[in-house]
Amino acid sequence: MNSLIKLELARALRNRKFLFFSVIYPSVIFLLASSQTGTVDGTGLSVASYVMVSMASFGALTAVLMGNSERIAKERESGWVRQLRLTTLPGRGYVLAKTASAAVVSLPSIVVVFLVAAAVKDVRLEAWQWLALTGAIWAGSLVFAALGVAIGYIASGDAVRPITMIIYFGLSILGGLWFPSNGFPQWLQDIAKWLPTHAYAAVGRAIEQSQAPHAQDVGILVVFFLLFAGGAAWLYRKDTLKA
Amino acid sequence: MTTTATVTAAPVVGFDQVSKVYGSVRAVDGLTLALHPGETVALLGPNGAGKSTTLDLLLGLKHADSGTVRVFGTSPREAIVAGRVGAMLQSGGLMDEVTVAELVGLGCALHPKAYKVTDVLARAGISQIADRKVNKLSGGQAQRVRFALATAGDSDLIVLDEPTTGMDVSARQAFWATMREQADQGRTVLFATHYLEEADAIADRVLVLHRGRLLADGTAAEIKAKAGARRVAFDLEGQVDEATLRGLPFLTSISVSNSGPAEGSVHTVRLQSSDADATVHALYGLGLYPRNLEVAGLGLEQAFVAITAAEEAKQS
Repeated sequence: MNSLIKLELARALRNRKFLFFSVIYPSVIFLLASSQTGTVDGTGLSVASYVMVSMASFGALTAVLMGNSERIAKERESGWVRQLRLTTLPGRGYVLAKTASAAVVSLPSIVVVFLVAAAVKDVRLEAWQWLALTGAIWAGSLVFAALGVAIGYIASGDAVRPITMIIYFGLSILGGLWFPSNGFPQWLQDIAKWLPTHAYAAVGRAIEQSQAPHAQDVGILVVFFLLFAGGAAWLYRKDTLKA
Repeated sequence: MTTTATVTAAPVVGFDQVSKVYGSVRAVDGLTLALHPGETVALLGPNGAGKSTTLDLLLGLKHADSGTVRVFGTSPREAIVAGRVGAMLQSGGLMDEVTVAELVGLGCALHPKAYKVTDVLARAGISQIADRKVNKLSGGQAQRVRFALATAGDSDLIVLDEPTTGMDVSARQAFWATMREQADQGRTVLFATHYLEEADAIADRVLVLHRGRLLADGTAAEIKAKAGARRVAFDLEGQVDEATLRGLPFLTSISVSNSGPAEGSVHTVRLQSSDADATVHALYGLGLYPRNLEVAGLGLEQAFVAITAAEEAKQS
């Protein structure tokens, strides 16, 4: 399976467009969005450190969601998934290799935002906070990796891009990764706080505030992970029986 | 290697009363067959005969609704994991945005008895395009890459589903030359095709599949004799005695169309014969003078209809 992970990774790193959107783009938005000084209401965090967590989460989301859903849907359709089933690769190896290679790309997308924030916007945190933030955002991205796999198994090759885009922008914007969600109307805030992206960024901000993450946010992430991973596993099984 | 010498050996592939149903269509219908070590076997049938489904069942990509499929005495998946089966699917997708060498390298890495990547590339005739991106290949080149994946290791059975689809004549010939080398090394080769000529040229055993059932199982020569009926058509002027025509040798069917009842009219006679030369010879022997004589081979589709009709007549 390592050989497939290596090849998936080589392919991801060669794809300039994908690398731009998952590694460079979040840092660019970070620089644009963190131009204000002062703090974000109700958090005690500077705008820069608030947006830093948003954009690191957004970058990781992009890396794990965008590439995989489309590749899986297209490779299912083209028959590559069938061809792989004629090798010794274990059944789940394909999905695991995709997830592993996405995780390798999502790490730099997180770290680059942190580096830009520290170097350009003077964001300062304790060493443990940097590590905990990296770990939490990286690990949290698994929730969306599972979502990407599920989309890849549910959508056809033609429909996968628009479906992924709608979910991607919906989760990013409503979850407050682009603008703080406390600027939303109350009814929208009531919806947004249950989204996995909202909980994802909230966990990161709690670490910046030197607090333990809220149980509700962790709970939301766990529930969504089980939902997406369970859905992906079920769809994968269904697809295997059909193919 | 002859089939009689190997029937005692353990079957490479064994189907026992295997059926696969899609809705109301019986894609594979009570199929029983055994392949023996070293055989090169063609699975011949028109489109929709159940060839691909049969191969999917053999490879464990689909599961039979009833009956059992064994490969080297185990389940298809176990045989694949043991590295005993190499397979090339019809229009099987490939991984995009990687090079040919990288993809074949992956195939080798995933094979328990893998050959060296450079050897696999050379044997498949794709060394020159090793650095090309997979998504930039022509149809024929992609087929060769699929073939390389199927032969990445020392498998005992090679399964190919319509492998020459998308190849031109010369590529086709080169492909079968490569394939023969594989067979000469003692491997069992099973390939699906809808070209009778391909089965004739390559296989030492031909299985004819029609509507999911095994219609015939024999050497290519035997199948050709069965399916080798020819179509003869000609015009006769004046009085035509149909009963006399029915007495022609090797006739399998005949129809006479009247263009008019009057004397001097022209009748068109269409017949099928299992030995067109002898039939036409006898026609002249009757003192008749056929005009616009045409002799043509039956298409495979018509040949299957002929074989099916013959089989059904035999059963009733």
